[in-house]
Amino acid sequence: MSPMNNPQDLNPSSLKSRFTTRFLRALTKINGQKPISSSSPREMFQRYRRIKVAADKSMAWSVRSRRTWSRAMLWKLRSRYSCRQASSSRRSSVRTSTIIKSRQAKTSHEKENKNTTTGQDEVGFVVQADKLRKLVPGGEAMDLCNLLGETAHYIKCLTTQVQVMRKIAHFYSL
Amino acid sequence: MLRGLHSLESCTYNGMDMRVLERQQARLKWLLQQQDYVVQNNNPVELCVSSVPQFQGLIGGNLGSGQLVELKMPEVYLGSDDFHKLVNLSVAGPEFGISKMDLVPPEGAADYCISRTSSCQMTARTALMKEGGEGVILEKIESTTGRESFNKRKAEAVADDKCKERRIKGEVEGEPEVKTKCSKEVSRNPSKENSKVSEVQKPDYIHVRARRGQATDSHSLAERARREKISKKMKCLQDLVPGCNKITGKAGMLDEIINYVQSLQRQVEFLSMKLAALNPSVEFNVDNLPVKEFPAYVANFPAAAKSPAVANLTCLQFNPLQKEAVSCMLDATMPLPQTSTEGIASASISIPEQAFSSSCITQLQAFSSWNTDPQGLNNAYNMGFH
Repeated sequence: MSPMNNPQDLNPSSLKSRFTTRFLRALTKINGQKPISSSSPREMFQRYRRIKVAADKSMAWSVRSRRTWSRAMLWKLRSRYSCRQASSSRRSSVRTSTIIKSRQAKTSHEKENKNTTTGQDEVGFVVQADKLRKLVPGGEAMDLCNLLGETAHYIKCLTTQVQVMRKIAHFYSL
Repeated sequence: MLRGLHSLESCTYNGMDMRVLERQQARLKWLLQQQDYVVQNNNPVELCVSSVPQFQGLIGGNLGSGQLVELKMPEVYLGSDDFHKLVNLSVAGPEFGISKMDLVPPEGAADYCISRTSSCQMTARTALMKEGGEGVILEKIESTTGRESFNKRKAEAVADDKCKERRIKGEVEGEPEVKTKCSKEVSRNPSKENSKVSEVQKPDYIHVRARRGQATDSHSLAERARREKISKKMKCLQDLVPGCNKITGKAGMLDEIINYVQSLQRQVEFLSMKLAALNPSVEFNVDNLPVKEFPAYVANFPAAAKSPAVANLTCLQFNPLQKEAVSCMLDATMPLPQTSTEGIASASISIPEQAFSSSCITQLQAFSSWNTDPQGLNNAYNMGFH
Protein backbone atom coordinates (compact mmCIF):
# COMPACT_ATOMS: atom_id res chain seq x y z
CA MET A 1 0.00 0.00 0.00
CA SER A 2 2.85 2.38 0.71
CA PRO A 3 4.17 2.52 -2.88
CA MET A 4 0.69 3.24 -4.01
CA ASN A 5 0.24 5.97 -1.44
CA ASN A 6 3.36 7.84 -2.46
CA PRO A 7 1.79 9.91 -5.21
CA GLN A 8 -1.05 10.69 -2.86
CA ASP A 9 1.28 11.90 -0.15
CA LEU A 10 2.77 14.42 -2.51
CA ASN A 11 -0.66 15.94 -2.56
CA PRO A 12 -0.92 18.25 0.44
CA SER A 13 -4.63 17.78 0.60
CA SER A 14 -4.55 13.99 0.76
CA LEU A 15 -6.18 12.14 3.58
CA LYS A 16 -2.83 11.27 5.11
CA SER A 17 -1.53 14.82 5.21
CA ARG A 18 -4.80 16.19 6.51
CA PHE A 19 -4.89 13.66 9.28
CA THR A 20 -1.26 14.17 10.11
CA THR A 21 -1.51 17.90 10.55
CA ARG A 22 -4.65 17.70 12.60
CA PHE A 23 -3.40 14.94 14.81
CA LEU A 24 -0.13 16.68 15.49
CA ARG A 25 -1.94 19.82 16.43
CA ALA A 26 -4.12 17.85 18.80
CA LEU A 27 -1.09 16.14 20.29
CA THR A 28 0.64 19.41 20.96
CA LYS A 29 -2.50 20.71 22.55
CA ILE A 30 -2.86 17.69 24.78
CA ASN A 31 0.73 17.77 25.88
CA GLY A 32 0.56 21.48 26.48
CA GLN A 33 -2.49 21.18 28.69
CA LYS A 34 -1.03 19.15 31.50
CA PRO A 35 2.44 18.89 32.91
CA ILE A 36 4.36 16.24 31.15
CA SER A 37 6.51 15.24 34.03
CA SER A 38 3.73 13.61 35.96
CA SER A 39 3.62 9.94 35.24
CA SER A 40 0.90 8.64 37.45
CA PRO A 41 -1.04 5.82 35.89
CA ARG A 42 -4.30 7.64 36.16
CA GLU A 43 -3.05 10.66 34.30
CA MET A 44 -1.36 8.47 31.79
CA PHE A 45 -4.65 6.72 31.21
CA GLN A 46 -6.43 10.00 30.80
CA ARG A 47 -3.88 11.16 28.32
CA TYR A 48 -4.20 7.92 26.45
CA ARG A 49 -7.92 8.40 26.24
CA ARG A 50 -7.51 11.95 25.05
CA ILE A 51 -5.02 10.97 22.42
CA LYS A 52 -7.26 8.21 21.19
CA VAL A 53 -10.19 10.56 20.98
CA ALA A 54 -8.00 13.10 19.23
CA ALA A 55 -6.90 10.49 16.72
CA ASP A 56 -10.47 9.45 15.97
CA LYS A 57 -11.66 13.00 15.82
CA SER A 58 -8.90 14.16 13.53
CA MET A 59 -9.51 11.22 11.23
CA ALA A 60 -13.22 11.91 11.12
CA TRP A 61 -12.56 15.57 10.49
CA SER A 62 -10.22 14.74 7.66
CA VAL A 63 -12.99 12.82 5.99
CA ARG A 64 -15.48 15.54 6.97
CA SER A 65 -19.07 14.54 6.35
CA ARG A 66 -18.59 12.68 3.17
CA ARG A 67 -19.06 9.32 4.78
CA THR A 68 -21.69 7.95 7.08
CA TRP A 69 -19.17 6.52 9.48
CA SER A 70 -17.36 9.82 9.85
CA ARG A 71 -20.60 11.62 10.52
CA ALA A 72 -21.60 9.02 13.08
CA MET A 73 -18.23 9.23 14.78
CA LEU A 74 -18.30 13.01 14.93
CA TRP A 75 -21.79 12.93 16.33
CA LYS A 76 -20.79 10.42 18.94
CA LEU A 77 -17.76 12.42 19.98
CA ARG A 78 -19.73 15.63 20.13
CA SER A 79 -22.48 14.11 22.20
CA ARG A 80 -19.97 12.59 24.58
CA TYR A 81 -18.17 15.89 24.89
CA SER A 82 -21.37 17.79 25.54
CA CYS A 83 -22.43 15.20 28.08
CA ARG A 84 -19.13 15.49 29.84
CA GLN A 85 -19.36 19.24 29.80
CA ALA A 86 -22.84 19.19 31.21
CA SER A 87 -22.17 16.58 33.84
CA SER A 88 -20.38 17.86 36.88
CA SER A 89 -20.91 14.92 39.15
CA ARG A 90 -20.58 11.18 38.74
CA ARG A 91 -24.32 10.63 38.88
CA SER A 92 -24.98 12.78 35.89
CA SER A 93 -22.23 11.09 33.96
CA VAL A 94 -23.79 7.76 34.72
CA ARG A 95 -27.11 9.12 33.55
CA THR A 96 -25.62 10.39 30.34
CA SER A 97 -23.90 7.09 29.76
CA THR A 98 -27.20 5.34 30.22
CA ILE A 99 -28.77 7.76 27.78
CA ILE A 100 -26.10 6.98 25.25
CA LYS A 101 -26.57 3.29 25.84
CA SER A 102 -30.32 3.57 25.42
CA ARG A 103 -29.82 5.44 22.19
CA GLN A 104 -27.52 2.73 20.96
CA ALA A 105 -30.03 0.12 22.00
CA LYS A 106 -32.70 1.90 20.05
CA THR A 107 -30.61 2.01 16.95
CA SER A 108 -29.73 -1.64 17.40
CA HIS A 109 -33.42 -2.46 17.64
CA GLU A 110 -34.07 -0.59 14.45
CA LYS A 111 -31.23 -2.41 12.89
CA GLU A 112 -32.61 -5.74 14.02
CA ASN A 113 -35.94 -4.98 12.47
CA LYS A 114 -34.20 -4.16 9.28
CA ASN A 115 -32.17 -7.29 9.53
CA THR A 116 -35.21 -9.48 9.63
CA THR A 117 -36.34 -8.12 6.34
CA THR A 118 -33.02 -7.99 4.55
CA GLY A 119 -31.26 -10.89 6.21
CA GLN A 120 -33.58 -13.46 4.82
CA ASP A 121 -31.79 -13.52 1.54
CA GLU A 122 -28.35 -14.21 2.92
CA VAL A 123 -28.95 -16.22 6.00
CA GLY A 124 -25.35 -17.29 6.31
CA PHE A 125 -23.78 -14.05 7.38
CA VAL A 126 -26.34 -12.14 9.33
CA VAL A 127 -24.30 -12.73 12.47
CA GLN A 128 -21.16 -11.44 10.87
CA ALA A 129 -23.00 -8.48 9.47
CA ASP A 130 -24.11 -7.66 13.01
CA LYS A 131 -20.55 -7.84 14.23
CA LEU A 132 -19.42 -5.58 11.45
CA ARG A 133 -22.15 -3.14 12.27
CA LYS A 134 -20.90 -2.89 15.80
CA LEU A 135 -17.37 -2.27 14.65
CA VAL A 136 -18.01 0.35 12.04
CA PRO A 137 -19.33 3.58 13.56
CA GLY A 138 -22.81 4.33 12.43
CA GLY A 139 -23.23 0.90 10.97
CA GLU A 140 -26.33 -0.01 12.89
CA ALA A 141 -28.65 1.84 10.62
CA MET A 142 -27.22 0.72 7.32
CA ASP A 143 -28.20 -2.06 5.00
CA LEU A 144 -25.61 -4.61 3.97
CA CYS A 145 -24.74 -2.97 0.69
CA ASN A 146 -23.93 0.42 2.16
CA LEU A 147 -22.29 -1.21 5.15
CA LEU A 148 -19.76 -2.91 2.92
CA GLY A 149 -18.92 0.34 1.18
CA GLU A 150 -18.51 2.16 4.46
CA THR A 151 -16.34 -0.66 5.77
CA ALA A 152 -14.03 -0.33 2.80
CA HIS A 153 -13.53 3.38 3.36
CA TYR A 154 -13.21 2.89 7.09
CA ILE A 155 -10.49 0.28 6.62
CA LYS A 156 -8.62 2.62 4.33
CA CYS A 157 -8.79 5.43 6.88
CA LEU A 158 -7.81 3.16 9.75
CA THR A 159 -4.71 1.96 7.93
CA THR A 160 -3.73 5.56 7.24
CA GLN A 161 -4.24 6.40 10.87
CA VAL A 162 -2.15 3.47 12.02
CA GLN A 163 0.66 4.31 9.64
CA VAL A 164 0.87 7.93 10.68
CA MET A 165 0.64 7.19 14.38
CA ARG A 166 3.36 4.60 14.10
CA LYS A 167 5.63 7.04 12.40
CA ILE A 168 4.96 9.68 14.99
CA ALA A 169 5.53 7.21 17.80
CA HIS A 170 8.74 6.08 16.30
CA PHE A 171 9.87 9.58 15.63
CA TYR A 172 9.40 10.49 19.24
CA SER A 173 10.77 7.27 20.61
CA LEU A 174 14.15 7.94 19.11
CA MET B 1 -92.31 -5.86 -12.23
CA LEU B 2 -95.26 -7.95 -13.23
CA ARG B 3 -96.40 -5.19 -15.43
CA GLY B 4 -93.10 -5.33 -17.17
CA LEU B 5 -93.46 -9.05 -17.69
CA HIS B 6 -96.77 -8.63 -19.29
CA SER B 7 -95.40 -5.95 -21.46
CA LEU B 8 -92.68 -8.22 -22.67
CA GLU B 9 -95.00 -10.97 -23.55
CA SER B 10 -97.45 -8.77 -25.25
CA CYS B 11 -95.13 -6.73 -27.33
CA THR B 12 -94.59 -7.66 -30.93
CA TYR B 13 -91.52 -7.12 -32.93
CA ASN B 14 -92.70 -4.39 -35.11
CA GLY B 15 -95.29 -2.71 -33.02
CA MET B 16 -94.36 -1.00 -29.89
CA ASP B 17 -96.78 -1.19 -27.05
CA MET B 18 -97.24 1.73 -24.84
CA ARG B 19 -96.03 -0.35 -21.96
CA VAL B 20 -92.94 -1.21 -23.85
CA LEU B 21 -92.48 2.41 -24.55
CA GLU B 22 -92.93 3.18 -20.93
CA ARG B 23 -90.38 0.59 -20.06
CA GLN B 24 -88.00 2.00 -22.52
CA GLN B 25 -88.50 5.45 -21.22
CA ALA B 26 -87.79 4.24 -17.75
CA ARG B 27 -84.67 2.62 -19.02
CA LEU B 28 -83.70 5.82 -20.70
CA LYS B 29 -84.03 7.68 -17.49
CA TRP B 30 -81.90 5.12 -15.76
CA LEU B 31 -79.33 5.32 -18.46
CA LEU B 32 -79.29 9.07 -18.18
CA GLN B 33 -78.43 8.68 -14.59
CA GLN B 34 -75.65 6.24 -15.30
CA GLN B 35 -74.08 7.42 -18.48
CA ASP B 36 -71.99 10.53 -18.76
CA TYR B 37 -70.83 10.54 -22.32
CA VAL B 38 -72.35 10.75 -25.76
CA VAL B 39 -71.15 8.61 -28.61
CA GLN B 40 -71.58 9.86 -32.07
CA ASN B 41 -72.85 7.09 -34.23
CA ASN B 42 -74.80 7.00 -37.42
CA ASN B 43 -75.40 3.32 -37.67
CA PRO B 44 -78.84 2.39 -36.44
CA VAL B 45 -77.33 -0.65 -34.82
CA GLU B 46 -74.95 1.54 -32.90
CA LEU B 47 -77.76 3.80 -31.96
CA CYS B 48 -79.22 1.13 -29.85
CA VAL B 49 -76.02 0.84 -27.91
CA SER B 50 -75.08 4.45 -27.71
CA SER B 51 -76.26 7.16 -25.45
CA VAL B 52 -79.71 8.06 -24.45
CA PRO B 53 -80.78 10.67 -26.95
CA GLN B 54 -79.86 8.39 -29.79
CA PHE B 55 -81.46 5.56 -27.99
CA GLN B 56 -84.69 7.42 -28.22
CA GLY B 57 -84.35 7.44 -31.95
CA LEU B 58 -84.55 3.69 -31.90
CA ILE B 59 -88.07 3.79 -30.72
CA GLY B 60 -89.31 5.81 -33.60
CA GLY B 61 -86.86 4.63 -36.15
CA ASN B 62 -87.22 1.81 -38.55
CA LEU B 63 -85.87 -1.27 -37.07
CA GLY B 64 -86.40 -3.49 -39.98
CA SER B 65 -83.11 -2.78 -41.56
CA GLY B 66 -81.16 -3.30 -38.46
CA GLN B 67 -82.99 -6.29 -37.25
CA LEU B 68 -80.87 -8.97 -38.72
CA VAL B 69 -77.76 -7.42 -37.38
CA GLU B 70 -79.34 -7.04 -34.04
CA LEU B 71 -80.25 -10.62 -34.08
CA LYS B 72 -76.66 -11.53 -34.53
CA MET B 73 -75.48 -9.41 -31.65
CA PRO B 74 -77.07 -11.29 -28.85
CA GLU B 75 -75.80 -14.57 -30.21
CA VAL B 76 -72.32 -13.31 -30.05
CA TYR B 77 -72.88 -11.93 -26.63
CA LEU B 78 -74.48 -15.05 -25.45
CA GLY B 79 -71.25 -16.80 -26.11
CA SER B 80 -69.07 -14.25 -24.43
CA ASP B 81 -68.26 -13.97 -20.80
CA ASP B 82 -70.08 -10.72 -20.49
CA PHE B 83 -73.36 -12.44 -20.83
CA HIS B 84 -72.61 -14.64 -17.90
CA LYS B 85 -71.89 -11.56 -15.99
CA LEU B 86 -75.17 -10.18 -17.13
CA VAL B 87 -76.96 -13.21 -15.88
CA ASN B 88 -75.20 -13.02 -12.57
CA LEU B 89 -75.68 -9.35 -12.17
CA SER B 90 -79.26 -9.38 -13.18
CA VAL B 91 -80.17 -9.88 -9.60
CA ALA B 92 -78.49 -6.68 -8.65
CA GLY B 93 -79.89 -4.76 -11.56
CA PRO B 94 -81.85 -1.63 -11.17
CA GLU B 95 -85.59 -1.39 -11.79
CA PHE B 96 -85.67 -4.28 -14.28
CA GLY B 97 -86.46 -7.74 -13.01
CA ILE B 98 -84.80 -11.07 -13.49
CA SER B 99 -87.41 -12.56 -15.66
CA LYS B 100 -86.91 -9.90 -18.19
CA MET B 101 -83.65 -11.41 -19.14
CA ASP B 102 -85.24 -14.59 -20.29
CA LEU B 103 -88.22 -13.16 -22.03
CA VAL B 104 -86.71 -10.16 -23.60
CA PRO B 105 -87.64 -9.93 -27.25
CA PRO B 106 -84.93 -10.22 -29.82
CA GLU B 107 -85.40 -6.67 -30.80
CA GLY B 108 -84.73 -5.54 -27.33
CA ALA B 109 -82.26 -8.30 -26.58
CA ALA B 110 -79.43 -6.71 -28.39
CA ASP B 111 -79.74 -3.33 -26.92
CA TYR B 112 -80.72 -4.79 -23.61
CA CYS B 113 -77.76 -7.06 -23.47
CA ILE B 114 -75.52 -4.35 -24.63
CA SER B 115 -76.94 -1.90 -22.24
CA ARG B 116 -76.61 -4.46 -19.51
CA THR B 117 -73.02 -5.02 -20.36
CA SER B 118 -72.46 -1.37 -20.19
CA SER B 119 -74.39 -1.13 -16.99
CA CYS B 120 -72.72 -4.02 -15.31
CA GLN B 121 -69.40 -2.68 -16.27
CA MET B 122 -70.36 0.63 -14.85
CA THR B 123 -71.45 -0.84 -11.61
CA ALA B 124 -68.69 -3.32 -11.23
CA ARG B 125 -65.69 -1.27 -12.31
CA THR B 126 -64.35 2.25 -12.32
CA ALA B 127 -65.18 4.94 -14.78
CA LEU B 128 -62.11 4.21 -16.84
CA MET B 129 -63.13 0.65 -17.25
CA LYS B 130 -66.54 1.73 -18.28
CA GLU B 131 -65.11 3.78 -21.05
CA GLY B 132 -62.88 0.94 -22.10
CA GLY B 133 -65.70 -1.50 -22.06
CA GLU B 134 -67.94 0.73 -23.99
CA GLY B 135 -65.23 1.30 -26.50
CA VAL B 136 -64.83 -2.42 -26.87
CA ILE B 137 -68.49 -2.93 -27.47
CA LEU B 138 -68.59 -0.15 -29.95
CA GLU B 139 -65.71 -1.68 -31.76
CA LYS B 140 -67.49 -4.94 -31.95
CA ILE B 141 -70.65 -3.42 -33.18
CA GLU B 142 -69.01 -1.39 -35.82
CA SER B 143 -68.05 -4.48 -37.76
CA THR B 144 -71.02 -5.30 -39.88
CA THR B 145 -69.15 -7.31 -42.40
CA GLY B 146 -69.19 -10.76 -40.97
CA ARG B 147 -68.77 -12.98 -38.01
CA GLU B 148 -65.17 -13.97 -38.59
CA SER B 149 -63.94 -10.47 -38.71
CA PHE B 150 -66.16 -9.76 -35.79
CA ASN B 151 -64.70 -12.58 -33.79
CA LYS B 152 -61.20 -11.57 -34.72
CA ARG B 153 -61.76 -8.05 -33.58
CA LYS B 154 -63.41 -9.39 -30.49
CA ALA B 155 -60.31 -11.37 -29.69
CA GLU B 156 -58.17 -8.32 -30.06
CA ALA B 157 -60.59 -6.32 -28.03
CA VAL B 158 -60.55 -8.96 -25.37
CA ALA B 159 -56.78 -8.81 -25.30
CA ASP B 160 -56.89 -5.06 -25.05
CA ASP B 161 -59.53 -5.41 -22.44
CA LYS B 162 -57.37 -7.68 -20.40
CA CYS B 163 -54.47 -5.33 -20.80
CA LYS B 164 -56.60 -2.43 -19.74
CA GLU B 165 -57.99 -4.47 -16.88
CA ARG B 166 -54.57 -5.20 -15.60
CA ARG B 167 -53.54 -1.66 -16.15
CA ILE B 168 -56.40 -0.47 -14.03
CA LYS B 169 -55.71 -3.05 -11.41
CA GLY B 170 -52.18 -1.83 -11.47
CA GLU B 171 -53.33 1.65 -10.69
CA VAL B 172 -54.64 0.25 -7.50
CA GLU B 173 -51.52 -1.73 -6.68
CA GLY B 174 -48.74 0.26 -8.23
CA GLU B 175 -48.43 1.42 -11.75
CA PRO B 176 -45.02 0.33 -12.95
CA GLU B 177 -45.35 -3.28 -11.87
CA VAL B 178 -48.46 -3.82 -13.86
CA LYS B 179 -47.15 -1.98 -16.82
CA THR B 180 -44.19 -4.26 -16.80
CA LYS B 181 -46.56 -7.21 -16.81
CA CYS B 182 -48.43 -5.70 -19.69
CA SER B 183 -45.31 -5.00 -21.60
CA LYS B 184 -44.05 -8.43 -20.79
CA GLU B 185 -47.15 -10.05 -22.16
CA VAL B 186 -47.06 -7.94 -25.25
CA SER B 187 -43.44 -8.72 -25.78
CA ARG B 188 -43.94 -12.38 -25.08
CA ASN B 189 -46.70 -12.86 -27.54
CA PRO B 190 -44.87 -11.84 -30.66
CA SER B 191 -41.49 -13.19 -29.64
CA LYS B 192 -41.70 -16.16 -27.40
CA GLU B 193 -38.17 -17.34 -27.91
CA ASN B 194 -36.68 -14.08 -26.74
CA SER B 195 -36.60 -14.47 -22.99
CA LYS B 196 -35.16 -11.06 -22.28
CA VAL B 197 -37.40 -8.57 -20.57
CA SER B 198 -36.75 -4.92 -20.09
CA GLU B 199 -38.51 -2.89 -17.51
CA VAL B 200 -40.46 0.23 -18.17
CA GLN B 201 -38.45 3.41 -18.33
CA LYS B 202 -39.22 5.04 -15.06
CA PRO B 203 -36.59 7.51 -13.90
CA ASP B 204 -36.33 6.23 -10.37
CA TYR B 205 -36.19 2.54 -11.24
CA ILE B 206 -33.11 0.46 -11.90
CA HIS B 207 -32.88 -0.99 -15.39
CA VAL B 208 -32.06 -4.65 -15.17
CA ARG B 209 -31.98 -7.23 -17.86
CA ALA B 210 -32.91 -10.77 -17.02
CA ARG B 211 -30.68 -13.41 -18.42
CA ARG B 212 -31.78 -16.41 -20.38
CA GLY B 213 -33.39 -19.08 -18.32
CA GLN B 214 -33.85 -16.89 -15.27
CA ALA B 215 -36.95 -15.67 -13.54
CA THR B 216 -38.28 -12.41 -14.86
CA ASP B 217 -40.25 -11.46 -11.80
CA SER B 218 -39.63 -7.91 -10.71
CA HIS B 219 -38.83 -9.06 -7.20
CA SER B 220 -36.22 -11.53 -8.31
CA LEU B 221 -34.71 -8.97 -10.65
CA ALA B 222 -34.33 -6.48 -7.84
CA GLU B 223 -32.87 -9.16 -5.62
CA ARG B 224 -30.41 -10.18 -8.25
CA ALA B 225 -29.31 -6.56 -8.74
CA ARG B 226 -28.81 -6.23 -5.02
CA ARG B 227 -26.80 -9.41 -4.81
CA GLU B 228 -24.57 -8.27 -7.64
CA LYS B 229 -23.94 -4.99 -5.87
CA ILE B 230 -22.99 -6.79 -2.70
CA SER B 231 -20.64 -9.15 -4.52
CA LYS B 232 -18.95 -6.17 -6.21
CA LYS B 233 -18.34 -4.55 -2.87
CA MET B 234 -17.06 -7.78 -1.41
CA LYS B 235 -14.51 -7.92 -4.21
CA CYS B 236 -13.36 -4.40 -3.41
CA LEU B 237 -12.99 -5.35 0.23
CA GLN B 238 -11.04 -8.41 -0.80
CA ASP B 239 -8.48 -6.14 -2.38
CA LEU B 240 -8.27 -3.98 0.71
CA VAL B 241 -7.99 -6.67 3.33
CA PRO B 242 -4.75 -8.55 3.02
CA GLY B 243 -4.72 -12.30 2.76
CA CYS B 244 -8.22 -12.69 1.43
CA ASN B 245 -7.34 -13.97 -1.97
CA LYS B 246 -7.50 -17.59 -0.94
CA ILE B 247 -10.76 -17.33 0.91
CA THR B 248 -13.88 -17.95 -1.08
CA GLY B 249 -17.34 -17.45 0.24
CA LYS B 250 -19.02 -14.52 1.83
CA ALA B 251 -19.00 -15.77 5.40
CA GLY B 252 -15.27 -16.39 5.48
CA MET B 253 -14.62 -13.06 3.84
CA LEU B 254 -16.76 -11.26 6.38
CA ASP B 255 -14.90 -13.01 9.19
CA GLU B 256 -11.61 -11.83 7.78
CA ILE B 257 -12.91 -8.32 7.37
CA ILE B 258 -14.15 -8.26 10.94
CA ASN B 259 -10.83 -9.52 12.24
CA TYR B 260 -8.93 -6.96 10.24
CA VAL B 261 -11.07 -4.06 11.40
CA GLN B 262 -10.74 -5.21 14.99
CA SER B 263 -7.00 -5.48 14.69
CA LEU B 264 -6.73 -2.04 13.15
CA GLN B 265 -8.79 -0.51 15.91
CA ARG B 266 -6.65 -2.22 18.53
CA GLN B 267 -3.51 -0.99 16.84
CA VAL B 268 -4.84 2.56 17.02
CA GLU B 269 -5.53 2.13 20.69
CA PHE B 270 -2.14 0.69 21.30
CA LEU B 271 -0.40 3.44 19.43
CA SER B 272 -2.30 6.10 21.30
CA MET B 273 -1.24 4.42 24.52
CA LYS B 274 2.29 4.49 23.31
CA LEU B 275 2.07 8.12 22.41
CA ALA B 276 0.64 8.92 25.80
CA ALA B 277 3.50 7.13 27.46
CA LEU B 278 6.16 8.46 25.16
CA ASN B 279 5.47 12.10 25.42
CA PRO B 280 6.56 12.73 28.98
CA SER B 281 9.93 11.21 28.21
CA VAL B 282 10.44 13.14 25.01
CA GLU B 283 10.64 16.83 25.08
CA PHE B 284 7.80 18.19 23.19
CA ASN B 285 8.95 21.77 23.35
CA VAL B 286 9.88 21.97 19.74
CA ASP B 287 6.36 22.46 18.60
CA ASN B 288 7.22 23.67 15.23
CA LEU B 289 9.53 20.83 14.44
CA PRO B 290 6.98 18.15 13.82
CA VAL B 291 4.76 20.47 11.90
CA LYS B 292 7.63 21.49 9.70
CA GLU B 293 8.98 18.04 9.34
CA PHE B 294 5.78 16.36 8.50
CA PRO B 295 4.81 18.57 5.62
CA ALA B 296 8.31 18.03 4.35
CA TYR B 297 7.87 14.34 4.77
CA VAL B 298 4.55 14.59 3.10
CA ALA B 299 5.92 16.50 0.19
CA ASN B 300 9.00 14.44 -0.36
CA PHE B 301 7.86 11.09 0.70
CA PRO B 302 9.56 8.83 -1.78
CA ALA B 303 12.38 11.20 -2.49
CA ALA B 304 15.63 11.79 -0.65
CA ALA B 305 15.44 12.73 2.99
CA LYS B 306 16.11 16.36 3.79
CA SER B 307 16.63 15.79 7.42
CA PRO B 308 17.47 12.83 9.55
CA ALA B 309 14.05 12.88 11.08
CA VAL B 310 12.44 12.65 7.75
CA ALA B 311 14.89 10.03 6.67
CA ASN B 312 14.04 7.98 9.69
CA LEU B 313 10.43 8.24 8.93
CA THR B 314 10.87 7.16 5.37
CA CYS B 315 12.96 4.27 6.46
CA LEU B 316 10.82 3.15 9.26
CA GLN B 317 7.60 2.31 7.61
CA PHE B 318 6.16 -0.23 9.89
CA ASN B 319 3.48 -2.12 8.09
CA PRO B 320 2.02 -5.36 9.19
CA LEU B 321 2.29 -6.85 5.74
CA GLN B 322 5.23 -8.74 4.44
CA LYS B 323 4.88 -7.30 1.01
CA GLU B 324 4.88 -3.79 2.27
CA ALA B 325 7.75 -4.47 4.60
CA VAL B 326 9.80 -5.64 1.66
CA SER B 327 8.85 -2.59 -0.34
CA CYS B 328 9.63 -0.17 2.43
CA MET B 329 12.91 -1.85 3.06
CA LEU B 330 13.67 -1.26 -0.56
CA ASP B 331 12.69 2.34 -0.10
CA ALA B 332 14.82 2.51 3.00
CA THR B 333 17.88 1.31 1.20
CA MET B 334 17.55 3.99 -1.40
CA PRO B 335 17.76 7.24 0.60
CA LEU B 336 20.17 6.31 3.34
CA PRO B 337 20.71 9.20 5.66
CA GLN B 338 23.93 10.36 7.26
CA THR B 339 22.93 8.82 10.48
CA SER B 340 23.78 5.51 8.98
CA THR B 341 23.66 3.62 12.20
CA GLU B 342 20.08 4.42 12.61
CA GLY B 343 19.39 3.63 9.02
CA ILE B 344 21.06 0.28 9.31
CA ALA B 345 19.22 -0.39 12.47
CA SER B 346 15.98 0.39 10.77
CA ALA B 347 16.79 -1.63 7.71
CA SER B 348 17.70 -4.59 9.75
CA ILE B 349 14.28 -4.75 11.27
CA SER B 350 12.68 -7.54 9.38
CA ILE B 351 9.60 -8.06 11.37
CA PRO B 352 8.42 -4.62 12.40
CA GLU B 353 6.17 -5.86 15.14
CA GLN B 354 8.94 -7.44 17.10
CA ALA B 355 10.95 -4.24 17.19
CA PHE B 356 7.84 -2.42 18.10
CA SER B 357 7.14 -4.71 20.97
CA SER B 358 10.69 -4.48 22.27
CA SER B 359 10.66 -0.72 22.29
CA CYS B 360 7.30 -0.70 23.88
CA ILE B 361 8.26 -3.00 26.67
CA THR B 362 11.06 -0.72 27.73
CA GLN B 363 8.90 2.32 27.73
CA LEU B 364 5.53 1.13 28.89
CA GLN B 365 6.62 -0.89 31.84
CA ALA B 366 3.91 0.52 34.03
CA PHE B 367 1.24 -0.84 31.77
CA SER B 368 2.33 -4.35 31.17
CA SER B 369 -1.19 -5.64 31.03
CA TRP B 370 -1.99 -3.28 28.21
CA ASN B 371 1.12 -4.25 26.34
CA THR B 372 0.49 -7.91 26.17
CA ASP B 373 -2.96 -7.94 24.76
CA PRO B 374 -2.53 -5.71 21.74
CA GLN B 375 0.91 -7.07 21.03
CA GLY B 376 -0.27 -10.61 21.26
CA LEU B 377 -3.14 -9.85 19.00
CA ASN B 378 -0.95 -8.07 16.51
CA ASN B 379 1.54 -10.88 16.48
CA ALA B 380 -1.15 -13.47 16.13
CA TYR B 381 -2.67 -11.54 13.32
CA ASN B 382 0.61 -11.26 11.51
CA MET B 383 1.36 -14.92 12.05
CA GLY B 384 -1.90 -15.72 10.52
CA PHE B 385 -0.95 -13.88 7.42
CA HIS B 386 2.55 -15.25 6.99
